[in-house]
Amino acid sequence: MPEAIPSTFFTRPPEWSWLIVWYFFLGGLAGGAAFIAAILELIGRPGDRPLIRVAYYIAFPAMVISTLLLIADLGRPERFWHMIVQSETARPAFKSWSPISFGAWLVGLFTIFTFIGFVRSFVEEGYLRWGWLADALRDLPGKLFAVLSGLLGLWVAGYTGVLLAVTNRPIWADTSFLGALFLLSGASTAAAALILAGHAMRPVPDASVHRLERLDTGVMLLELLALLALVFSLGVVARVWLSWWGALLVVGVVLAGILVPLALHARRRRFWPASVTAAVLVLIGGFLLRVVMVLSSEGIPYGG
Amino acid sequence: MAEPMGFFTDSTVCIGCKACEVACKEWNQLPATNGGQNTLSGDSYDNTRQLDGIHWRHVRFIEQFNEDRSQGRWLMNSDVCKHCVQAGCLEVCPTGAIIRTEFDTVVIQSDVCNGCRDCIPACPFGVIGMNPVSNTAQKCTLCYDRLKVGLEPACAKACPTDSINFGTIADLRQMAQDRVRKLRAEGESRAYLYGADPGMLGGLNAFFLLVDRPEVYGLPANPQLPSRNLGPNAVGATAAAVLAGIVGYFTLGRDRPEDRTREDRTGEEVRRA
Amino acid sequence: MYPGSLAASDCIVFEGSNMAECHPVAFRWVMEGKRKGATLIHVDPRFTRTSALCDVYAPIRSGSDVAFLGGLINYVINSKRWNEEPFFREFVVNYTNAATIISDAFKDAEDLNGVFSGLEPYAGDPINGFIGQYNSESWQYARTQIGDQGRVAATAQSGEQPVPSGQAGQPADAPDTAQATPTGGPPTQTGQSGQAGQAQGGPAAEGGGTAGRAAATARSGEQPVQSGAQQAGQAEQVPDGPPYDALVRSLRKPEPRTDPTLRDPHTAFQILKRHFARYTPEMVERVTGCPRETFIKVAETLLDNSGPDKTSSFCYAVAWTQHTNGPQTISCAALLQLLLGNMGRPGGGVMALRGHATIQGSTDVPTLYHSIHGYMSHPSVLKKHDTLKDYLLTETLPTSYWANEPKFMVSYLKSMYGAAATPENDFGYGWHPRITGDHSHFPMFILMDQGKVRGAFMIGQNPATSINARLERRALGKLEWLVVKDNFETETAAFWYRSPEVQRGEVKPEDIKTEVFFLPSAQVAETEGSFTNTQRLLQWHEKAANPPGDCRSDAWFTYQLGKRLKAMYASSTEPRDEGFKALGWDYDMDAGTPGEHVEGEPDVHKILKEINGYETATGNHLKSFGDLKDDGSTTCASWIYSGVYPAPGQNRAASRKSLPPGTPERPDLEWGFAWPANRRVMYNRASARPDGKPWSERKKYIWWDGQKWTGYDVPDFPTNKPPDAKAKPGAIGLDAHSGTDPFIMKADGKGWIFAPTGLVDGPLPAHYEPAESPVQNPIYKQQTSPVYKRWAIADNNELAKVGDPNFPIVITTYRLTEHHLSGAMSRWNPWLAELQPELFIEMSPELAAEKGIANLDWVRITSPRASVRAKALVTRRMRPFTIDGKRVHQVGMPWHWGFQGVVTGDVTNELTALVGDPNVSIHEGKAFVCNVEKDTGGTV
Ligand SMILES: Nc1nc2c(c(=O)[nH]1)N[C@H]1C(S)=C(S)[C@@H](COP(=O)(O)OP(=O)(O)OC[C@H]3O[C@@H](n4cnc5c(=O)[nH]c(N)nc54)[C@H](O)[C@@H]3O)O[C@H]1N2
Ligand SMILES: Nc1nc2c(c(=O)[nH]1)N[C@H]1C(S)=C(S)[C@@H](COP(=O)(O)OP(=O)(O)OC[C@H]3O[C@@H](n4cnc5c(=O)[nH]c(N)nc54)[C@H](O)[C@@H]3O)O[C@H]1N2
Ligand code: SF4
Ligand code: SF4
Ligand code: SF4
Ligand code: SF4
Ligand code: SF4
Ligand SMILES: [Mo]
Repeated sequence: MPEAIPSTFFTRPPEWSWLIVWYFFLGGLAGGAAFIAAILELIGRPGDRPLIRVAYYIAFPAMVISTLLLIADLGRPERFWHMIVQSETARPAFKSWSPISFGAWLVGLFTIFTFIGFVRSFVEEGYLRWGWLADALRDLPGKLFAVLSGLLGLWVAGYTGVLLAVTNRPIWADTSFLGALFLLSGASTAAAALILAGHAMRPVPDASVHRLERLDTGVMLLELLALLALVFSLGVVARVWLSWWGALLVVGVVLAGILVPLALHARRRRFWPASVTAAVLVLIGGFLLRVVMVLSSEGIPYGG
Repeated sequence: MAEPMGFFTDSTVCIGCKACEVACKEWNQLPATNGGQNTLSGDSYDNTRQLDGIHWRHVRFIEQFNEDRSQGRWLMNSDVCKHCVQAGCLEVCPTGAIIRTEFDTVVIQSDVCNGCRDCIPACPFGVIGMNPVSNTAQKCTLCYDRLKVGLEPACAKACPTDSINFGTIADLRQMAQDRVRKLRAEGESRAYLYGADPGMLGGLNAFFLLVDRPEVYGLPANPQLPSRNLGPNAVGATAAAVLAGIVGYFTLGRDRPEDRTREDRTGEEVRRA
Repeated sequence: MYPGSLAASDCIVFEGSNMAECHPVAFRWVMEGKRKGATLIHVDPRFTRTSALCDVYAPIRSGSDVAFLGGLINYVINSKRWNEEPFFREFVVNYTNAATIISDAFKDAEDLNGVFSGLEPYAGDPINGFIGQYNSESWQYARTQIGDQGRVAATAQSGEQPVPSGQAGQPADAPDTAQATPTGGPPTQTGQSGQAGQAQGGPAAEGGGTAGRAAATARSGEQPVQSGAQQAGQAEQVPDGPPYDALVRSLRKPEPRTDPTLRDPHTAFQILKRHFARYTPEMVERVTGCPRETFIKVAETLLDNSGPDKTSSFCYAVAWTQHTNGPQTISCAALLQLLLGNMGRPGGGVMALRGHATIQGSTDVPTLYHSIHGYMSHPSVLKKHDTLKDYLLTETLPTSYWANEPKFMVSYLKSMYGAAATPENDFGYGWHPRITGDHSHFPMFILMDQGKVRGAFMIGQNPATSINARLERRALGKLEWLVVKDNFETETAAFWYRSPEVQRGEVKPEDIKTEVFFLPSAQVAETEGSFTNTQRLLQWHEKAANPPGDCRSDAWFTYQLGKRLKAMYASSTEPRDEGFKALGWDYDMDAGTPGEHVEGEPDVHKILKEINGYETATGNHLKSFGDLKDDGSTTCASWIYSGVYPAPGQNRAASRKSLPPGTPERPDLEWGFAWPANRRVMYNRASARPDGKPWSERKKYIWWDGQKWTGYDVPDFPTNKPPDAKAKPGAIGLDAHSGTDPFIMKADGKGWIFAPTGLVDGPLPAHYEPAESPVQNPIYKQQTSPVYKRWAIADNNELAKVGDPNFPIVITTYRLTEHHLSGAMSRWNPWLAELQPELFIEMSPELAAEKGIANLDWVRITSPRASVRAKALVTRRMRPFTIDGKRVHQVGMPWHWGFQGVVTGDVTNELTALVGDPNVSIHEGKAFVCNVEKDTGGTV
């Protein structure tokens, strides 16, 4: 055994795998969508309105699936509620210092918000014609709701990274940038998803789509910085990525998922297929980021 | 609360008989790896390999011989949950399944645990694992059920050489320090205590006498609480959120000329006219 | 000695034992000693879990222990300390036969190229396996009268060779007997009745006849004066019936000549000194491969930790016994311990670590074919045993405690035949069965294989794996019927449809005609009874629960079988059946005996009472064997156990008081009952100086307080016999010993550093190579023991020739803590199975490199008998040796695997040969040769 093995190598993996990877991706996507919806609600154009609705069409189902994935991943799914209510004392089970604990509450809360947003979108499009409901939603203080669900969204997107960090596993517990990275990735994947939606549906003004592209560009630049910071913060532990994981990170996440989309967005002449390609790549890159971050640590057995 | 109880495991008198492993399995009715049809690990005499949900005691074998055998040692040590005074597992457990008992030990209540598995990576020592029978996370209970009726833990009871000593932390620390002093006097200068000092997670209620670096025994040199990462990551995430917000403000908030689509322009011309 | 006393040792040498792995619980005493500063030494071919706890590890090649121990003896007696510290000489001159003068007819291995005088070709029945035999006539003491040597000594093989006279039987307790006779059978008794026995362990179980046989000659050193003819003549004068004192007195003979200055070249000491002179540190290194410096360190440590205020002990088990010279190895250690004054003292001695639980008990209350209770010789057609008188004339040792043998024997016969045993009918002696030769494990299976045995019971053993397994399975297949009574369907029970040869298609189940009955057995926790462990300690255990279903205790089975047989014979009028009809067999549980009992379970307390003994008339329990009479007025199955049950409701085996910890020098006299007479350390008079004062304050144990012997233990000496008492001329029993003769079971009261008898393979230990060895014997021209046992009549029993290039590697076999013996009791248990799931072979990286073998590779191991597969465990705990300038590799395999159970594997014992020690017939499972190659066959 080599000298001075980092202490995180003497721990055991939780065996969180694909279910959790998908959850992290979808949760980030939903959170990011709510975040973008919020900004558009605050300072957007009238033409952005459809995008806000799309954001909730994405967020709510994503959160529903996320919740199901989370429950399915439990050893004892029928006891999922033990995370909310302490089964013996029937008191609320809440630990502000435990990401998985407050995360459980967060997910619940956020899902409710996305649900409301989801229903409101329907109403706006006039699918649901129940007057009382329409009234109720119109009275809903739109901006406040937007801000709250936006914040919750960012929180959901970010806490998934913090959850990994608040352990003793290699990589996860060896950096302070996982939260930031997952949050930004969530935002950029959400932007990408909305861009695709924008292209798909009329009448979304190109202007809105272009603004989303610029948002994505900015967020991806931040994401790139966060990723670099993370790699440096790992120090020797980063050696774990001198492997296929590293290759996937560089090619899949950085190159395909960030640099190529940046390049495509930077083009002056607008050409919708390029924009679509970029968006698709961002989504794939965002997913691969979760894959690498979760599974490359999972793969390290006790003792390194 | 009764007096804090725990283990002092003296690796220098361990004969690697594994009676502790078996006594634990028998008392706690834990299943065997693959119904017993395990494979040879090739790593000395260790075939159970690690602590996990069905191995709550694990005896590690370390062979240290130089080329010509002029120097040689075969170290053995029986590892177990450390019942940390500051316990990472207990810190994160979202269901309250993990509790601290009146003996200052850390116990997972199998009927409460829902198998979220967050405690597994949270433990700095890789102690916890899933038990395939209960589908919950499990580990050493320090024989809570036996302690409650005044019995000593099964593993300590079975240990033929008193390598595993059970008692009050105060007594154990005294005993351990005397033992270290004696060993040093006899020339075993490498003897030291791992985890007896409150500096390590407030003190481990199961601590060890070792004669080589912790890593050699599969123990972390610097175990820490998972919560140490909460602050920094939260700050990082918040900063990222703020920055994302700013980017959002500047990108989604304003138009750029090139965004103007045909419809927009014709609209202006009409106005000029 | 007893394990608890190890805590009082200043130095403990483990040689021939892997105590930490095989006796982990007793090892707690060792750890207590270590914590108190004792130095621990392990001498073993492998660095084991015992070595890991030791201060010194001395690697030696398997089968070279006598060379190592002989080297120690030579080093010790020539050392400065031994010659300057007066203690050593005082102990040796007074308490051993060092000063005794040996017949000048004796020729040592020095004079005869490695053999002793008296070597003859073996003439007897080949089933006994000898390749040669010794006439021990010339090994005898020189006596004050000429013409005393007239008689052939009984040999340990007295069960297998005609012997005109000689006595047999001696408490088979390793430590103690070891103390008694360094060269003696006794050590071998444990060495083997404990362990060797197990090797042969017929249905008779581990005991192995060996104990008794070794014992037989342990005492036969002292031969009656008269020639056979004279004896006959003399016999006239002694009465035929009790009292037998006159008979015993008639056996007395003149005193041996001695020279307390030890200068006479014919003294045992001078002979021994010359004998071991060639065992120099250089020679030790050449033969054993142990680095000289390490050897010298061991010798110096032993010397430093022996003396008036220090004691050292040796712990051995079957790695000393399972050799063609096993007993000699043990004798050698005992000899060394006598020279170092480490006998009969706290923390001193030779600790025999026995095997199966209560294996000691199974040799005391014997399942041995060749001895009856209490180590008395089994009546034999090959000895002059025609009448009770003949038997007593042949077997009784007139001087020593054995002078009481008539009392033991008559009381035994009373327990056999009860009221039917009268002085008129020789107490039924004539009904008692006789043995006709070696009926131990190997001969039994060879005859089985030759179709000469029709049926067999396998109760508590699993021979289909435990030795030369292939041959044994084939033999089982020749039986008409086989009863296996076990807790599991063992390899022995399943041989006919699951054996490797059946799996390979070489044998078809339908061709095996043996009818196999499997009777499920109760587990120990489901029975009540006693264990007798290695320290002769009887400990009672209660029954925790009744056995489930059809499971029955062995006592139930044996008792019920006896009852049914007696019912069958009840109507017989055949004279030969009279004895069986007269046999006392009434242990029915009285109605209302407390507790739940399985229908038909015998009352073990009734059995215990018969073993303990009682007044024939009143039925009152005997307090001790001191109460025994030779006229039938006492009944006692096993004299050595007398006192365990002194009164109804007072079962001393169940006593559970113990002293506060931290007083290792004091034995726990209230914990269980140790035979004889609850003594923990035998011959403990040696723990005091000749004048009766303790050798030192630190090591005081038993001493003379002016009126009587007293101390921490039960004195092993007549309580009121003062230290300055003189031997009474012409007296019998202990009156023939002086106040300074501690070894009361020995004819001369001395510990033997030279054994006129007791061992059939020489009065002194000599290094011989194992039957299979890669090298020529570097010490003598004589390669192997000239008299070891090889059953040439058994086939699949070829041996590799010396240095055979096809089998260049030394292999040994052994145990793992995680498993038990043939594995029946551990491989069926998932918790144990997962700890050591697969058969492996331990080898050094050097050998692995030569053979291109990597860790965990499948390896094929081939011996001249067979070949098996195992996974390679490559480890630096193994090392190559340089033997006589040649590099010799050593490998080792555990032998716990078989084809039944949760985890299975090849049977290591396919590889072993039917060769054994001549005294005790134990197989040489610890040193033979093989070859290893990477196995390309893939996994099975
Ligand atoms: N866990 C466990 N305990 C047991 C048993 C068991 O099966 N499992 N079996 C019981 C029984 S029946 C018995 S008889 C005892 C046996 O107890 P031991 O005799 O201690 O057991 P072994 O492992 O057969 O042999 C002991 C050691 O002898 C070494 N050895 C091999 N050849 C030689 C040699 O030529 N010279 C020397 N000096 N050493 C040599 C081996 O490397 C091994 O380490 O154990 C008893 N206790
Ligand atoms: N190569 C090699 N061969 C060896 C040895 C070696 O060191 N090397 N060691 C030798 C030695 S020392 C020994 S002791 C022998 C042992 O050889 P065996 O005695 O043949 O092997 P065991 O596994 O002890 O068999 C004991 C059987 O008794 C059963 N049993 C347990 N308790 C009870 C009970 O209460 N009643 C009944 N009826 N059955 C019970 C067990 O299930 C088991 O099947 O092997 C010898 N063979
Ligand atoms: S060692 Fe691990 S499992 Fe045990 S108390 Fe400490 S953190 Fe919890
Ligand atoms: S797995 Fe069970 S014990 Fe562990 S953290 Fe989750 S709920 Fe708590
Ligand atoms: S204390 Fe009890 S649960 Fe913990 S290892 Fe020992 S026996 Fe097992
Ligand atoms: S029982 Fe004691 S001696 Fe045996 S392995 Fe466990 S700690 Fe070591
Ligand atoms: S297995 Fe039984 S006999 Fe052997 S050490 Fe353990 S307790 Fe003693
Ligand atoms: Mo044995």
